[in-house]
Amino acid sequence: MPAEPLFSIRNLTVEYATRAGAVKAAEDVSFDIRREEILGLVGESGCGKSTLGKALMRLHRTPARITGGELLFDGRDLMKLTEDEMRAVRGAEIGMVFQDPMTSLNPVQRIIEHLTETVRAHEPRTTDQEARERAAVLAEKLGIRSERLKEYPHQMSGGMRQRVMISLALALRAKLVIADEPTTSLDVIVEAKFLDLLRELRREFGLTILLITHNIGVVAEIADRVAVMYAARLVEIGDVQDIFASPKHPYTQGLLRSVPNIQLDGESLYKMEGMPPNLLHPPRGCRFHPRCPFAMEICRDYSPELQAVDGDHFTACWLYHKTTGKEGAKNG
Amino acid sequence: MTPISFILLIIGIPLALMLLYVFIRGSMGLRKYILTRIGLTLPMVFILASLVFFIMRVLPGDPVRSALGPRGTAEQAEHMRQALGLDKPLIVQYGIFLKDIITLNFGNSMVGGHRPIIDEMSERFPATLELIVPASILALAIGIIGGALAASRRKAAADYFLRVYSVVIYSLPIFWFGLMLQLLFGIQLKLLPVAGRIDPIIRTTLEPVTNMYLIDSLISGNWPALGSAVSHLILPTITLGLVLSGVFVRMTRINVIETLQADYIAAARARGIREKVVVYGHALKNAMIPVITLIGLQVAILLAGAVLTETIFNWPGMGGYLVQRISARDYTAVQSVIAMFALLVALISLTVDLIYSLLDPRVRY
Amino acid sequence: MPSIDENGIEIKQKTEAWKSDLQRVGFVRRLFMARKWYGADWWFVAISAVMVAGFIFIALFPGLLAPYASDEIVGTSFLSPGAYPVVPVLLARSESSAQTLLDLAVPEDSERPVVGVLMGGPTATALRERAQELDNQLVSQGSDLRLRPRIERYATMEELLEAVDAGEVHAAVVDLHEFEKLAANYPDLRAGDSITGETAAAGGFIMGTNEIGQDVFSRLIWGTRIAIIVGFSSSIISLLFGLPLGLLAGYLGGTFDRLLSLLMDSLYAFPGLILAIAITAVLGPSMYNVIIAISVLYVPTYYRIVRGQTLAVKEEVYIEAARSIGARRWEILWRYIYPNVIPSIAIIFSVNVADAILTGAGLSFLGLGMPPTIADWGIDLARGQRFIQTAWWLITYPGLAIMLVVLAFTMMGEGLMEIYNPKLRER
Repeated sequence: MPAEPLFSIRNLTVEYATRAGAVKAAEDVSFDIRREEILGLVGESGCGKSTLGKALMRLHRTPARITGGELLFDGRDLMKLTEDEMRAVRGAEIGMVFQDPMTSLNPVQRIIEHLTETVRAHEPRTTDQEARERAAVLAEKLGIRSERLKEYPHQMSGGMRQRVMISLALALRAKLVIADEPTTSLDVIVEAKFLDLLRELRREFGLTILLITHNIGVVAEIADRVAVMYAARLVEIGDVQDIFASPKHPYTQGLLRSVPNIQLDGESLYKMEGMPPNLLHPPRGCRFHPRCPFAMEICRDYSPELQAVDGDHFTACWLYHKTTGKEGAKNG
Repeated sequence: MTPISFILLIIGIPLALMLLYVFIRGSMGLRKYILTRIGLTLPMVFILASLVFFIMRVLPGDPVRSALGPRGTAEQAEHMRQALGLDKPLIVQYGIFLKDIITLNFGNSMVGGHRPIIDEMSERFPATLELIVPASILALAIGIIGGALAASRRKAAADYFLRVYSVVIYSLPIFWFGLMLQLLFGIQLKLLPVAGRIDPIIRTTLEPVTNMYLIDSLISGNWPALGSAVSHLILPTITLGLVLSGVFVRMTRINVIETLQADYIAAARARGIREKVVVYGHALKNAMIPVITLIGLQVAILLAGAVLTETIFNWPGMGGYLVQRISARDYTAVQSVIAMFALLVALISLTVDLIYSLLDPRVRY
Repeated sequence: MPSIDENGIEIKQKTEAWKSDLQRVGFVRRLFMARKWYGADWWFVAISAVMVAGFIFIALFPGLLAPYASDEIVGTSFLSPGAYPVVPVLLARSESSAQTLLDLAVPEDSERPVVGVLMGGPTATALRERAQELDNQLVSQGSDLRLRPRIERYATMEELLEAVDAGEVHAAVVDLHEFEKLAANYPDLRAGDSITGETAAAGGFIMGTNEIGQDVFSRLIWGTRIAIIVGFSSSIISLLFGLPLGLLAGYLGGTFDRLLSLLMDSLYAFPGLILAIAITAVLGPSMYNVIIAISVLYVPTYYRIVRGQTLAVKEEVYIEAARSIGARRWEILWRYIYPNVIPSIAIIFSVNVADAILTGAGLSFLGLGMPPTIADWGIDLARGQRFIQTAWWLITYPGLAIMLVVLAFTMMGEGLMEIYNPKLRER
């Protein structure tokens, strides 16, 4: 049963102004993040998923800008907030965990200062002492011993720092955490521990997590639903079991086939044809058609909409468009 | 005790205490760092002093002949050579020279009143200090605020203005800039004095303790003297400080821009920290670490600028003394002044490195 | 772990793409292509390059632009910019026979002619001195004529001209330019010859004249030559030492590197001007000595940059590759490392020329650079400093010239650096 969405992204378009012209890093992207779910957002590097993640918090910097769409978070349109109101949302209601824990903590600030600063940025009336105590309690829950809070970031290991990043996101009980490639720089064992922690936190705090990653394995392990992005557009979204069991979009199919599998013996790994497109001059029609083994005439000229294939599973592909898809093919 | 050794003590004792404290409290890494730094500073003074010595002795030109002038007789020259120890083998002279530097006893000046050089420097050194300290503070203030402003408004009008400012300031011949200020504020507007450190009449009411007039007048509560000293200080400080600030704006801007692209800045914004705090708290603080090191290297510009500023404003400091001794062909004094400058450079760069190690927790722990 | 890609570089890829496009073409082509991407910085470089070319042209052909030779005395001293030298002429009614001062000479016993002048001012002095001089000549020639005019003084030019027009005086001595302004009102008056031999054609001096009557503008033009020579030759000499030493130290490493770096770092940290003062003080003032002194100062600048770049390039994979296929050490140094440091050198060179010109001017200003007879901006400034109370133009223009030349070179280096590598210059 799909719960009421926490965050509805509607027709979001993000553009980069470059001297060579505007580059759309996300085009007409719509999806929901449901309460207390873990949604995995996957795609190749350069497909716009990190930009999208930043844009959800309006954290994108010039030359990127949001040119259209709505960000309905918990009943409010974030696009309509002033910069100062938005600042109050960041950290307090939506937290973010970055890719590299080695570089996402201020090297000249103690861990405890990171925590108290965050708390006091949102609740200026909290005394330093209260903030410290809250930080210590939170850290304890995340498995950070309180004496380690006095340390500087460079004195901690990567996994520990990623815990600190999480605790920073949770310091004010954020409802949603956007985690941008949080495990990429961790080794396998630390990664597994970290994913356990995420699962636990969801249970304990009722946390919603948007996990942006290029790592299909992580998604399979932890996510409830998956959204697949290709060349700035969303091509498929659905339940993790559905998508892994029967991927619909040819890109998703290729993506899953190119993942190495331990059971896979002898058979060589599938490699997708071609290269991801240049977003400055993206192909017309469906963006995947130059690489698609099933490309039809219609795919060259018309871009498919996201449509339900069964129940909660959506894809943007002419192959599954029962009406227009076939007509288009005939016309061609 | 001469004022110069007094001043060296004022600078030296806290520096030594700070070093000792850091050394004892610091980690192994920090201790090693400090030892390495000291290990590098001493050879630097040694190399510079030796360089000056050999330039003075090996390059063609006879100090004694030029000191005596065309009317000097061979006997006089021989006598002077003996008195100055110039008849000894070069290597012995070199040893004596090094010993003089260590003991801060530079002998007597070759010409004029034949006063001990250390006494003459004692009068001059505080003046230089009184000029370069306020000038550095002015330059740092402009440099850090301007650089951070330019970086946070990248590609906006403020950024372009500050970049043009730093290039134009860098291209300003300091001596000309000083003269232009004299022309405008001293001669056209008649607002400020253009020469000297203090009104010579008021000077007589001032009890010299450190020979830094600002401090001396403050200690004794001599307000007219303080006013006069401050008004004399304004133009030289602006001259030297502005010229130095161009480089600082530039360095701060580049480093803050680089820091603003760091992940922890994006992370701080994502936590809802105010933009002002992000730029001036997080980014600037991190950017200052490399900037401090770079500032250490600007000591060269500072002191070279001080020589010219002192000349223009008739400021009786070390720079003015150096130029005056050169015209008098007093090689012993010239050599000593330059050795003194080398000592100063080494001392400042050591202090800067110490501050650096205290600012950066990655060095400290 | 399965992954699509090693890293999650997002949209940056697009910018990487054009960068690699740029990197495929040569340094010069890259400069032109970069205009699109670097906007303001590109124009910085372009404008300063034009300025630099202009200054080099002036330095090569100063004779074309300078109206006078650098040491020629061309007029009265301390003429302010645009002011004309006073040309005292004899003024009389058109029908009068007085054409020169000598025409006013009369026999000793006859009535002395009356000559009007403006009260005070240079014309009165000129008349008195010249008349005295001519009279002495007449006496010594044994002539019976005497030139001893009676001098009548008037408060304003108008009164004086009225007096001549009305025949109250036989003639007047006035400044030609002053008269020309009012000449239309007095059609009956005629200006004769200059009484001092000062030619009217001399015109004004756009930057005035100095204390001995040399044209400031001409000296400025000729001074460009010295600035450019000093800047370029000392930078080239520093480069010739700094580049190979830096390459070797960076490439060989070890004790050689450590000792050399210690020496260079000490030199670098020490105030260059003070060292240059010491060297020129011993060698004595001459252009070659200035060049030598400045060259010594800037060797460490090149050394440090080249050494740093060499160290960085040395670790690159393609150097490893070259080594693995058996390339010799010198070959690697010459064919792989050396070409990589060239762009940085070009940038540093530009800034270095600027620094050298500044230091050279500073030395001259202190009286330790050029011999005082040479037309050099630093020397002109030092000479002008003594007259700061009265003649602002003597110090304003040479300083402005230094600033413009230095600005051109600095801006070029600065723009190139922002385009090529913003972290390059650390001072």
